[in-house]
Amino acid sequence: MNIHAINEHLLRAIGVGVAVLRASDMTFIFHNGPFAEWFGTPEPGQTLLDILPGLDVKELDDVKQSGLRYSAELQIKPKRRTLIFATAISLANGVEEQLLVVECQNITRIRELESMIDSYSTMVERNTRELEREKERVERLLLNLMPRAVYEEFKTFGVVTPQLYDNVSVVMLDFVGFTDFTAKTDPTVTLSELNDIFTAFDRIVEQFGCERIKTIGDAYLAVSGMPDETPDHATAVAHCAVRFLRYLERRNESHPHKWQARIGLGTGAAVGSVVGIQKYVYDVFGPAVNIASRLQVFANPMNIVAPEEMKYALIDEFQITDLGPTDIKGMGRMELINVTSRLGAPQRTRMF
Amino acid sequence: MSQTIYEKYGGFKTISRIVMSFYEMALDSEQIGDHFDEIDMPRLIDHQTKFVSSLVGGPASFSDDRIEAVHRHLNISHDDFDEVGALLTEALTQHGMADADIEIVMDAIESKRSIIVARTAA
Repeated sequence: MNIHAINEHLLRAIGVGVAVLRASDMTFIFHNGPFAEWFGTPEPGQTLLDILPGLDVKELDDVKQSGLRYSAELQIKPKRRTLIFATAISLANGVEEQLLVVECQNITRIRELESMIDSYSTMVERNTRELEREKERVERLLLNLMPRAVYEEFKTFGVVTPQLYDNVSVVMLDFVGFTDFTAKTDPTVTLSELNDIFTAFDRIVEQFGCERIKTIGDAYLAVSGMPDETPDHATAVAHCAVRFLRYLERRNESHPHKWQARIGLGTGAAVGSVVGIQKYVYDVFGPAVNIASRLQVFANPMNIVAPEEMKYALIDEFQITDLGPTDIKGMGRMELINVTSRLGAPQRTRMF
Repeated sequence: MSQTIYEKYGGFKTISRIVMSFYEMALDSEQIGDHFDEIDMPRLIDHQTKFVSSLVGGPASFSDDRIEAVHRHLNISHDDFDEVGALLTEALTQHGMADADIEIVMDAIESKRSIIVARTAA
């Protein structure tokens, strides 16, 4: 077998469609089996454009002029199924004349797989986006139940270790006559009032870097100094307290129900932790919380009462009035102070 | 959460082969091939990938309303519907799915018969 015969044999055997043309008139000199199978057997005198009308005449001229390779994608649809061919045409020097070599590869399966991957990845991406949204919803929900730092710990380790904070201040607020109000008001009205007020409180609390721990009915509890340590925790809660009252005063001017609240401040140690396994609640315990809770009960309406140990932390920024030693249930005898904002202070001191 | 058929057989790796087989069979079928004649390839592949994935519990889901809307004008007969079931069974068997699992898939298809087959079909 000579080299020509071997070449021809090879061209016939490969899975690529091959045809050789005269460059001058683009009639066929040779075509192999796959080429004929896909595009039909060229009749004598038929040119490349008769067989593959999808080719660009200008590009073909370019190939003849410059010798640059022309690549195109051709589609045929013999029966229902669209077949796609990557076609390349290049110039070759024959013995007597210039030749065009046409190679066609069947890339139908590749295109089909590409389409499938497109379709699949679109589905997966959509699912991922939905999961992402769901995750954000869960996260938002959990952030309502616990401070962010605690949530991060919970997310990373699956548990929250109870942690003792030595220097924490607490503000606790409770409404005067809330039980009466709920008894004679539509529950939805009660709820929307509470919602409105607590939302405002949340904003104040956030503004002063404190953390709202919980509301129990009409009681509102926020802390400063945990989970992140804060040097000015005492003033932070006091600022919240005076703004709570100021907000209520303003609100009372334009709302039918006039809300009155008592506020107690506390300072000292507290433990913070997630309580419960099925129903998570982030809660705080400790002397600081107990004091605030007791003093709130003791406070007169629209007043803020704090233990005397907070006096020197607050004295620069607030109006402090000594209340003297007082017996507090469960706490014994305590020195107490009344805290008011420097602005509008006299009026409220008189109220006490 | 229990494992879906989709996960059991290796996810997209297997599903892609099933889709390819089913696609070829559907196009070659004398009974239903004509329904696919005018549809371009990417759309048809897209459709079948979603179709097969959703049947086996993969990441796709069509609402019944949507299924009904896209099939309403195709005038699909019960025979067409049965043919799709038969071809899919063949494709699933070819790729090594257990009979019990194929049955689950077929039940899933069967449950959509009333919204896919044209109302006027005998």
